[in-house]
Order: sequence, then structure tokens, then C-alpha cells
Amino acid sequence: MTKQLRVALAGNANVGKSAIFNQLTGLNQVVGNWPGKTVERAEGTLHFKGYTIRVIDLPGIYSLSTFSIEEIVSRDYIAVEKPDIIVNVVDASALERNLYFTLQLLELEAPIVMALNQVDFAAKKGIRINTEKLSEILGIPVVPTVAITGSGINELLTTVIEVASGERKLKPLKVRFGAEVEKIVQELQRIVERTLPQLCEVYPARWIATKLLERDSDVAGKLKNYEGGAEVLEYAEKLAAELEKLHGEPSPVILASERYSIASKMAKEVTVVEAPPRISLEQKLDAITTHKILGYPILVGVVLVMFSLIFIGGSLFSGFLESLFSGTTLYIEGVLAFLPQAARSLITNGVFGGVVAGVTIALPYIVPFYIILALLEDSGYLPRAAFLMDNLMHKIGLHGKAFIPLVLGYGCSVPACIGCRIMETQRERLLAAFVVTLVPCAARTVVILGLVGRFVGLHAALALYVFDLILIFILGRIAFKVLPGEPVGLIMEMPPYKRPSLKSVLTKTWSRTKDFVYIAFPIIVAGSLTITALNLTGFINYITAGAKPLISGWLGLPVEAGIPLIFGVLRKELALILLSQLIPLESLSAIQMIVFALVIMIYIPCIATIAALIREFGWRKALAITFTDITLALLLGGIAYRFLLLFMPLS
Amino acid sequence: MMFRNRKNAQRQNTARNEGELHALTDMAEGEKGVIVKALGGFGLVRRLADMGLTPGVEVKLLRKGSFGGPVEIEVRGVTLALGRGVASRVLVKPVKDEPHD
Repeated sequence: MTKQLRVALAGNANVGKSAIFNQLTGLNQVVGNWPGKTVERAEGTLHFKGYTIRVIDLPGIYSLSTFSIEEIVSRDYIAVEKPDIIVNVVDASALERNLYFTLQLLELEAPIVMALNQVDFAAKKGIRINTEKLSEILGIPVVPTVAITGSGINELLTTVIEVASGERKLKPLKVRFGAEVEKIVQELQRIVERTLPQLCEVYPARWIATKLLERDSDVAGKLKNYEGGAEVLEYAEKLAAELEKLHGEPSPVILASERYSIASKMAKEVTVVEAPPRISLEQKLDAITTHKILGYPILVGVVLVMFSLIFIGGSLFSGFLESLFSGTTLYIEGVLAFLPQAARSLITNGVFGGVVAGVTIALPYIVPFYIILALLEDSGYLPRAAFLMDNLMHKIGLHGKAFIPLVLGYGCSVPACIGCRIMETQRERLLAAFVVTLVPCAARTVVILGLVGRFVGLHAALALYVFDLILIFILGRIAFKVLPGEPVGLIMEMPPYKRPSLKSVLTKTWSRTKDFVYIAFPIIVAGSLTITALNLTGFINYITAGAKPLISGWLGLPVEAGIPLIFGVLRKELALILLSQLIPLESLSAIQMIVFALVIMIYIPCIATIAALIREFGWRKALAITFTDITLALLLGGIAYRFLLLFMPLS
Repeated sequence: MMFRNRKNAQRQNTARNEGELHALTDMAEGEKGVIVKALGGFGLVRRLADMGLTPGVEVKLLRKGSFGGPVEIEVRGVTLALGRGVASRVLVKPVKDEPHD
């Protein structure tokens, strides 16, 4: 029988934690959410020396406080689920900041093995770390690794098993603060031990005491369920106030300073700076890409290259797949010839049509998009883009990081909505997602260019894009004012530039594509089936008849345009194809084309995006965004129709 | 070498004693300072401390973004970007350095 082990990877962002995770589990991983939370949970299994090891990749965080959901999820997992081993992934080139996190893991009394990662990069910066000494000070094994190449991974696993099997004993460092703070922590610890023995079975008493002194709202909330909890809380408050009077700082800052002073001393003790740091290629690249003036044309260039690659690659790939599938559809129809017409149509148009739509439209654009995204991520360019755009993003109440999902939105709204997770708070995520749904994705671009660009002229298509940007700006500002809560400023690490690794890029692309297929495909198929059924039963005629005043009365479009607008919910570019099947596109006036494209551009992105919104924000908020978008699209479409009539007579 | 370092250290000390408080955003590119205090809400101050911006730590302003964009700083061997609003609430005491530094 194989022995089971549970190992969690914990560490700062940008330390190569996912690279270690990928080295350990390969493609054998499942990416999902933590139960009830929109925090990504990656899990994989591997077999090593007779052990089956389940590896959980905890989110990359800088502290175990309560700043973000990620921090709470991580510390609860470590304290409550008690994995057999925590592998603390540490960036050797930024030891001090990383040790600050390690100290917090030690405070949680977790069994830790340290993976000292990126030792090659540190060496390039002239930093050498005495691992034996570090291991001795911390009382835990320290294994040097280079995750990108896989160097040190076997040693890491061997060490994990040695510790888990008890072959190697840990003597973890007991974190002790300076005398004044220490006295107060210990005083509170004794009270916690005495009053809350049950809670102390889950969390270490000293940790509870420290968190209470830091005025940790999550831990304070836990206390309320216990007898005597309120008294402890009151006493902790008194002690925290005492501490603050003594030091003249908020208590969390005092404790952070204490930890940093330990980390700083430790880092100095084990670090040998071999060569004076000189200006490297990475630093030069950093200077140019965040340059006051040069940075912006570079950013524009990067975005343009990205989209040309996506659109050129996507349309080639898409055309190829479509020709492949058109044969298959006919074949399936032939095989199903024995079925009645309605059933056959349900299967071929409904189910199979949905799958084909997903494969031929979504995937060809999504895959190159994910590859480029992974390249930009791994190289370290994205934080630079966020740096440049911070000021502009602040105008709509977001900070620079929101630029990233916004750009993703021009590719596809689904990953863009999920990409909003990089924002820190739920408010920021929702705001970013709302803005993202208004960004014309690749499919909407097909309609805008294929209808307005082709028949009215490129200037009109461009005007639509400019209008959209203005709209995003105005609505973002309104949403920012309407949504309760404080805007969060930008505090972001700028990791050094690195050469991306092919393996990491491909692994990321694979797991994200898989995730996209899981979210989008069932919805696309279900939606396609529903609309085919509506069509077959003739029910769709009632809908279009009902929508007539809206479509032709308000929007000034031909009645037939109602059907493509409804079908467009499945996939936006389908709307154009359908419209061309119903009426010759040339018969539309320029105004009608512009209005049609405008409505398509703004109303709900598509059914897969709604699914992504539901997953990220729940039903109510997803419906609120959907409803807002539809109302807006119809409202603006009608206004645009009347406005344009003033300038362009109907032909 | 020893002598120069000591002199340098002395100079830094006097600067620390005499220097007045500046917001991080008021520093010039390449200038160094010691964090004195971060103003602002509990959450922001704690977040800054978690990222290593605790009182007494030395920071170097690397770059200021244009159009009131963020500032890039180096602290504890790590590069951070702080939005203007955030950076304007971080008070530092400038550290005079050797001119060639």
C-alpha cells in the first residue's frame, strides 16, 4: 500500500512557486476554486519513493494577515487542514522580504521545508546564500532549487519525505520579539491558553495572542463563539493600546517591524554579496519599459503585436477548423437520417453546432491569446504595463493592475472576467469585471469590422471603438461612485525581468484552456440547444414579434435583425452570419449597420461570459451586470439611431 | 576604506537628525530616505508594513511615473510600485549620500 502525503506550497508572489508546482505535478493538476471562494486552487498528485503526494499550491501572498481573501484562505488551510508538510518557496534574491513570510509560517507552528528558489538568479546578482547556516538558524531543512530547470526538485521531495516520515526531525525556530513586545505577547498568550483551550487546539495560543494584538478582525470574529472570548478580546484591546502608546505606531506596524528586524538580521547573517551589483540587462530593460515617455509607445507596440498575432493566428486556425467541421456536420446529418427532422436538427444544430462554435471560434483565438499572456506574465512585462497605466485607471476608480484584465477583454471576455482576480478587493474585482464586459472582444470585433468596417468604412468602425472607450470611462466613473467602499491604491511588486520558460508557458496555456472549456462549453451547448428548440417550436417568432416595436420602432432596424440579436447571446459573430442569411447585408443603411454593431458591442458579452460572471460574483451580481449592459445597449442604440438620422439621411 | 565608511555613516546620521519630513513623492529620482511614518487607514498602513515599508527602513526612489503615475522604489532588496496617492502618504527623512552613489 502506498503512503499518502499532503504537501502545501506557500510563499510570496513571483518567487517561482507555480514553477515548482509544475515541476512537481506536471500536467497532472486540477485548477479550481477554494470552496465558496473565488480564489484559485491548484492541486496535483505525484508518486515518489512509494508515496502518493498530493500537492496544493496556495496563493502567492506576502503576509498571513487579512488583507486579501487569499491570505485568509492560506492561513486557514495551514492551521485547520494541517497539511503534512508546508514547502515554503523562497526567492533567494529577495531573502529578507521572503523570510518575513517564513517567520509567520513558523508562528503558525507549521512543519516547514524551505525551497530556496532562483539561486541561479541570485548568483547572477552576486548574492550567495549559506543554506546550511540558514537551515541551522531556522531549524528546518533548506533545499536550493532552480524551478525553471528542475534542479533541486528531487532533493526537495526526498527532504519532504524524510521529514514527513520522522526520519529527519525539525527544530523550528521559536520566533521571539523584542523585550517590550514579547512581554505583552506572552502575557496575552497565557490568558488565551487559559480561557480558550478549544481554540488553542486549532491555532497555536501564541499565534492567537499575536493576531489579537494586531487587531486581526478574522481571529477576533472567531473568539466571539467561545465563552470568555469577549473578555479576552477586551483585554487584548487594552494591551494593544498600551503597545501603541509605547511605540507610537499602530500595533500591526509594530509587529511587522519586529518580524522584519528578525528577518533582516537573519538575511544579513546568511548572505554573502560576492560582486557589487552592477547595472544588468534586466535593469536597463526595466528602465526603458517604465520610461516616462518611451514606455508608452512600447506599451502600444506590445499590445498591437499581441493582437495582430492573435487575430492573424486565430483566423487562420479558425478557418482551418471550420472547413474540417463542415464535412463532419454533413456526415452526422447523414448518420442521423433515420431520426425525425426536429430531433435531427436538435442534435446537429443544437448540440453539435454548439460544440463546433466553441471549437472553431473560441479556441483558435483563446489558445494563442493564452500563450501570449503567459509570455507577458512570465517575462515580467505585465507589472510594467500596470505601472504605466495606473494614473489613467485611477480615473475610473481602479488602479494600474486593472489594465491587465481590460486588455484581456479585447481578446475574450471570459478570461478577462477571471483575470479580474488580480485586483485585491471584491469591490475592485466587480468594478473591473463590469468595465471588462463593455470591452469589445474578438467576436464583437468581427461584427464591427465585418459590417461597419466593410460597408460603411474604417473611420466609422474606429469611431465605434473610440465611442466605446469614452463609454467605458464614463460608466467606470459612475460605477466607481455608486459602488460602496474605498478605492485601493496601487501597491505592487515589480519583479525583475526574466526569460520565460517554454514549459511554464505551455503548462499555463494548457490549464487555462482546460478551465475555459469547462466553463464555456457546457453553457454554449445548452444555449445553442435552447435556441434551436425555440426555433423549431416556432416560439422564436413570438419573441421576435414581441420585440418588433423595440427592434424596428426604437432601434430602426429591420424586423429580421431581432433574431440575430437573440442568437448573438451564444456567440457574437454568429449574429452577423445569421443576419446575412436573413437579409442581404447591403440592403441595410449605414445608420442601421452602425446601430446594429453598436448594440452588439454593448449588450451582454455572451452566455459564456455570463457563466464566468456567475462563477466569480454569484447570480445576483452577474444578472445585474447583464441587465445593465442590455438596457444600456438598447438605450444607446435608439439614441444613436435618432442622432445619426440628423446627419445622415436614410438611404 | 574603513575611514570612508565611517565618515559616510556619520554623515547619514546627521542627515537623519536634521532632515525634515518629506512625502515619498517629493523625493528626487535616485534619492534615498528613511521611512518615518505612513499616514492613512489601518488597512493601508498594515499593507505597507507587510510589504516591508516599516518605520526606520531605508528606501530609494528609483523612478516617478509620468502624468502623476506611480513611483517605483527599492526597499529591502525588492522593487515596488506605489500609486501616487499611496506614496504621498508615506513620510520619509531624506538621507544624504555620497554624490557618486
